[in-house]
Amino acid sequence: MSKTINIQEVLTRLGLTEVNSGVSTGTQWFDTEGKLNPSYSPVDGSLIASVKTATLDDYEKVITTAQSAFKEWKMTPAPIRAEVIRQIGNALREAKDDLGALVSYEMGKIFVEGAGEVQEMIDICDFAAGQARTMNGFNLQSERPMHRLMEQYQPLGIVGIISSFNFPVAVWMWNAALAITAGDVVLWKPSSKTPLTAVASHKIIEKVLRDNNVPEGVFNLVIGRSSVMGDNFLDDKRVPLISMTGSTAIGKRVGEHVGKRLGKTILELGGNNAVIVTPKANINMALMSTVFGTVGTAGQRCTSTRRIILHEDIYDDFKEKMVNAYKKLKSKIGSPINPDNLIGPLHDIHAVNQFKYAIEQVQKEGGKIVYGGEVLEGKGFETGTYVVPCIAEAKNEFEIVQEETFAPIVYLIKYSGDVENAIAINNDVPQGLSSAIFTQDMQEAEKFYSAMGSDCGIANVNAGTSGAEIGGAFGGEKETGGGRESGSDAWKVYMRRQTTTVNYSSDLPLAQGIKFDLD
Amino acid sequence: MKIEKDILIEDLVDDFPFAEEYLRVKGIKCIRCGEPIWGTLEDACKEKGFTDDAINDIIVELNEINQNKNNHNEQNNQHTRSIDTTRLDRS
Repeated sequence: MSKTINIQEVLTRLGLTEVNSGVSTGTQWFDTEGKLNPSYSPVDGSLIASVKTATLDDYEKVITTAQSAFKEWKMTPAPIRAEVIRQIGNALREAKDDLGALVSYEMGKIFVEGAGEVQEMIDICDFAAGQARTMNGFNLQSERPMHRLMEQYQPLGIVGIISSFNFPVAVWMWNAALAITAGDVVLWKPSSKTPLTAVASHKIIEKVLRDNNVPEGVFNLVIGRSSVMGDNFLDDKRVPLISMTGSTAIGKRVGEHVGKRLGKTILELGGNNAVIVTPKANINMALMSTVFGTVGTAGQRCTSTRRIILHEDIYDDFKEKMVNAYKKLKSKIGSPINPDNLIGPLHDIHAVNQFKYAIEQVQKEGGKIVYGGEVLEGKGFETGTYVVPCIAEAKNEFEIVQEETFAPIVYLIKYSGDVENAIAINNDVPQGLSSAIFTQDMQEAEKFYSAMGSDCGIANVNAGTSGAEIGGAFGGEKETGGGRESGSDAWKVYMRRQTTTVNYSSDLPLAQGIKFDLD
Repeated sequence: MKIEKDILIEDLVDDFPFAEEYLRVKGIKCIRCGEPIWGTLEDACKEKGFTDDAINDIIVELNEINQNKNNHNEQNNQHTRSIDTTRLDRS
């Protein structure tokens, strides 16, 4: 990628125009009548392009098409379905730089992270393509003679995917690659803050769908406000599974609505991720890792490090080193499409307000700002969305520390005594997504990821809280929702489990030795 | 444009950005994980235990703030126009 990215050329190569349809059933795009959704870049405030959002009529047409497609797709053998996913992975490889640049420009993360996000899409395509031939069931021993007992997995139907602005394309593919291979069809509602990356992603896969005669309605995109793609979508019995990534507040709404109709959900919600640094840690490793964890994607990852739990013996030393590292980073805040920069803007002015609010609150509660917290002004920062990442000293019980603030503010929390005390602090928040410990001591590490350890879905040792790989299950506990995306057996969530008994004898024995003779 | 109780939070924070801070002070958080929450202003208020009367008061107050902002902007625009007129006259 050249040093300067020409966004207009990127948009043209991705097939985007000034106004784009936000509704597709694969290769067909709807001439929608919905409200225009303009997308402004957080990088420089420019209007990138607009998307025409869906109406309720569009939604209905998409659902009907998807239902019809499912009938055909579920009967297509899994390895053939996976071949489509393999080709989609290749199409994404070809478009990686362009889609990565658009992710960067529309969302605000630095270009290498944008391209990295597209790489995650490619990785999950490879993963799903390989997994297609190993999606297995069980043959079990029956208690009845000449009976065969087995469990198998069948496709579910329409899988609804609701994704967030911070990973505008990867989350779709984490779900879609597995669901499509499993024989489902997908309906994607992307964030209305990043509609263009969604349209571009669908345009990238269009040729693959056409070349392989994939039925219209297997891959569906519906961009709409919550008046069109809100509670009605959640309440729709034609959508047996909704996978949602976003805030705990919206996740609770999804859980409530889908739960009322006894539908299935995958909820990947907020985190309040901590890194424990013990006196036995390699401090330099811990430092480098936590700096990336706190400021990467400008603190707007679900797995961003929000809290650093430091032993009192190393607290002052680590704090000083951290401040020095942050000082070096200050000159690397700027346009994310400039490869010299490491920190881009916050997504919008509301995110900046949340950042300022957290800084104000932590001080009100007795905390202290150690570094940063300013909103940058002047040339290159006219949008008012570039901030200097903030380090604050705080106590875990502060109300603001218990919340997830989606911005680059990290709280330093002191602990004393054994690692158990640090683990208790790690666990003492409502969320349970990601956690990490830095230590060279085997007993401390073992305690951390044992049953007495971290209560999070992710518990790393000598690796930070962010930067998950698609091979491992991703998700967390408590207010993080309990759902898992990707990982070794994630495909099972996208399928329904079925038990079958086959009697190949001429008798009709009942289980548990029950006799039911009419004579 | 007036703020009504059935306005979507998404539309409220887009069209009336000041409302986010106003509601946050009252304990109603419109933005979570960087995204606006779903549902209407009334839903969000009720979830936090506000009564119908209290919700009406909030709406009245939000509209007053909006009106003041509009008046302020209008005054600024008039001031700008008068400066432009002066410049034209002088030329």
